[in-house]
Amino acid sequence: MNISNAFLILLNLFILLIAPFFVLGIIKKTKAFWGGRKGVSIFQPVYDVVKLFKKDRVISSSTSWIFNLAPVVIFITTLFAGLFAPMVFGYSIINIEAAFIIFSYILGFGKFFALISAMDTASSFEGMGTSREACFTTIVEPAFFIILGSVVALSNDFTFAGLTKIISNFGTYGVLVAIMASFALLIMLLVECSRVPVDDPTTHLELTMIHEVMILDNSGVDLALITWASGMKMVILMSLIANIILPYGLELKILLPLFLGILLILAFAIGTIEAAIARLRMSHVFEFVFIMSSFALVVVSLIAVKLYGV
Amino acid sequence: MENYFIGILILFFCGFFTLLFKNQALKIKLVSIFSILASIFVIKTSIDVFLNGEKTNVIDFGGIVGNVSFVVDNLSAFFMLFISIMSTLAILYSNGYLASYIKKGKDVSAHCVFLPLLVAAMLGVVVIQNAFFFLIVWEIMSLASFFLVLFEHEKKEVLSAGIKYLVFMHVSVIFIIIAFALLAILSGSLDFIEFKQAIFLNQDMADIIFILAFIGFGIKAGFILFHNWLPDAHPAAPSHVSAIMSGVMIKTGIYGILRILDIIEVPSINVGYFVLIISIITALYGVLYAIGQSDIKRLLAYSTIENVGIIGIGISIGMLGLAYGCYPVAILGFAGGILHILNHSIFKELLFMAAGSIYIKTHTRELEKLGGLIKKMPKTAILFLIASIAICALPPFNGFISEFFIYFAMLKGLTFNNLSMFIFFILALSSLALVGTMAILCFTKAFSVAFLGEARDECSKNVDKDVSKNMIMPMGVLACFIALIGLFPKHVLNFIMLPVSNFVDEIEISNITNVVQNISYIFFTMLICIVILFAFKIFLKNKYQKHTTWGCGYNKINPHMQYSASSYVSPFISMLKPLFKRVVDIKKPKTIFPKDAHFELHIEDVEEEYFLKSILKSTEKFFARFEKMQNGNIQQYITYGLIFLVLALVGVVLIG
Repeated sequence: MNISNAFLILLNLFILLIAPFFVLGIIKKTKAFWGGRKGVSIFQPVYDVVKLFKKDRVISSSTSWIFNLAPVVIFITTLFAGLFAPMVFGYSIINIEAAFIIFSYILGFGKFFALISAMDTASSFEGMGTSREACFTTIVEPAFFIILGSVVALSNDFTFAGLTKIISNFGTYGVLVAIMASFALLIMLLVECSRVPVDDPTTHLELTMIHEVMILDNSGVDLALITWASGMKMVILMSLIANIILPYGLELKILLPLFLGILLILAFAIGTIEAAIARLRMSHVFEFVFIMSSFALVVVSLIAVKLYGV
Repeated sequence: MENYFIGILILFFCGFFTLLFKNQALKIKLVSIFSILASIFVIKTSIDVFLNGEKTNVIDFGGIVGNVSFVVDNLSAFFMLFISIMSTLAILYSNGYLASYIKKGKDVSAHCVFLPLLVAAMLGVVVIQNAFFFLIVWEIMSLASFFLVLFEHEKKEVLSAGIKYLVFMHVSVIFIIIAFALLAILSGSLDFIEFKQAIFLNQDMADIIFILAFIGFGIKAGFILFHNWLPDAHPAAPSHVSAIMSGVMIKTGIYGILRILDIIEVPSINVGYFVLIISIITALYGVLYAIGQSDIKRLLAYSTIENVGIIGIGISIGMLGLAYGCYPVAILGFAGGILHILNHSIFKELLFMAAGSIYIKTHTRELEKLGGLIKKMPKTAILFLIASIAICALPPFNGFISEFFIYFAMLKGLTFNNLSMFIFFILALSSLALVGTMAILCFTKAFSVAFLGEARDECSKNVDKDVSKNMIMPMGVLACFIALIGLFPKHVLNFIMLPVSNFVDEIEISNITNVVQNISYIFFTMLICIVILFAFKIFLKNKYQKHTTWGCGYNKINPHMQYSASSYVSPFISMLKPLFKRVVDIKKPKTIFPKDAHFELHIEDVEEEYFLKSILKSTEKFFARFEKMQNGNIQQYITYGLIFLVLALVGVVLIG
């Protein structure tokens, strides 16, 4: 690598902060495409967030300072989690051992505030969304740890860069592991970023809602920050998947288009899923989320076979 | 005389000294002053030990007892330090907490005797290295805490909880006595140092002794299968006592386990996995039931079980590291476990104190009746929030540091190239993650139902102001500890490594402490960013209108429509239905204009219901057979006596 670190840091930061809007835009465009509509401009999410930043807020009289603080916490924690996550080149801005633990706990800190801020409004709808969101996290998180933990065992690399070594160092097994792990992370993405079939981000007024109903009372700057943060979360998880798929040690001029291409394909896939199938019934959502755990278990067993030849 | 002797003696006698005074408030004040004094002496000794190495004092009691050694090594010094600081803070808090009881004319004399006595006994437990004296002091500790639990003895549930606690403690003592007796037979002495040599010569006995001691001390610590005293005794006791019991006293159980480990030196692999499995189950079970509770102190008690499980996971990983000879894993595991002992005692004490403050103001522990307290008790709310974040092990506070160490130990173990270690550590890794997320579920529930939203009942609506300053102060100190350990872990870790050095000889840690310190700096930056962005938001875009919460067009919203504690967790509980025993008390609305309806959900302990009760039933059945013997007939009793004498005679003849 003969590119300076500063350039990579700037590149990663740029992707982290700007890509969310385009990913959201592409998803919307895809949905419109499958629906036979022309759809809104790809820049629409940018306009939305800018508009929200200009607007004043309406705050519930039941709320306290928690409600006011939470959007800031959610935004900053997602940003910091993004600093730990690998982007282009498998390069995290903060490259540290056991980064995936710190990554998920920082996101957990944001989630904690998201949950309590929703409960702060004394609204029954938001309570419902909160309780479901908290419940799904308990299923997703252990599976994530299983996958990342076993990848550490496989690659003997404690940093997030271990993800990039799966395919390049371990041949056929690596490919199998990579496929399983990426599917698991895709499900995690659908759950965490509240996409169909787990949740539907386009409506607010359904009693089957999860994440979207939690921000029912947020408006103005608060809503802008939260929307931006959830877009960032999506980009972060997408780039984890991209890092699993992309081989290690490519040139930047090949890698960058590939990386962005994968982001684009994933966004297109999410849009297609949303256009193709309806949201699952709440009781089936649990089953859907548990699929991630089974993928995680497959990953562990594959890695155990590879390492110990059982 | 050593400094810490003076401290322990002050604590031992100051309770009795307060009996001379009549004024109830003065008694508590005297106890607090003496305990501050005593803790200064104790802290001085522990710092001395940390700097200059262990202190051994042998006192000859003569007679059959003989020499009793009092040893303060790094492990004891660590425990002494946090026992004295934490207990003193809880006693200071009790000044404010008991004031409202004293106002109602409650007599606190007995309470003031047993409170310092408990602390003295706990300090005694961690320094005495003689099995016989250890058991005596251990018993004093159990009894003193038993009387402290019985503070509101006029209530029936308090009495039954107290009795339950007493029974459990004595079951625990039986196992400890058996373990010590085996050791004493092997070594021919009661001294722990002799035990060490005896075990060294008889390695085959090590496993059985460790498991016996683990069960015995584990009951005290709250490991699963015999944890049932915790969720009953903690709500029954006054809050500062629950704080001491949960924050400090159960840690003496952990101390016992660590001390036995110190005696055994290198545990076997099987024992390591046994402790790991038990700890994982304990952690999961504890947090699972904590989620189900709606009594705030019961919830905290179950969460104590969870945290004991986490401590156990750390220690067992350390044990496995020792057993496999993989020292980095051992160091990280023990460091995580021991640091979590300290961390848990800090935030759990803070949580119990905050729960006590809620109880003092609202006279209820029922979460379903609380709500909106953040506006009336802002300071308590912030303190509770800090402790909740810390107990969920979220950055940037202290809980994260200890769990991170445990995680890191697991990752190191995963790369150790051993299949069973790989499988069990993956299991432990995912369980710890699961425990973490469930803790988030549990504490977002506790915090948001109690403090946020609107008041659900008159009792929380009528709260006028926050609790008094002398209750807030000790809580504030604890919150400072939480933040300091979270933000500057390097120094704390260097200090934690001293007790760890009891177990692992080669300590090479500078690398990992630097990593942790860097992580903390990142968190610190994150906090600053949050503050800056929040300030920006407040100064630049703070135009807003107040409006009632949006009710989807419905505008006759009332506080009862909020999500309650049981509805908040209901998706989770219905997902794991078979693991709970749900007791539902329901009265459905009838007729067209329903007058009243009622719904109440209680989660009962499955283990108690199916395991403990069946054991009790079978023992009861067995002993019922002997009921005939006690029939009140004097002649028959004399016959028993005769039979006994004859048997004794035969025995003597046969043996002699």
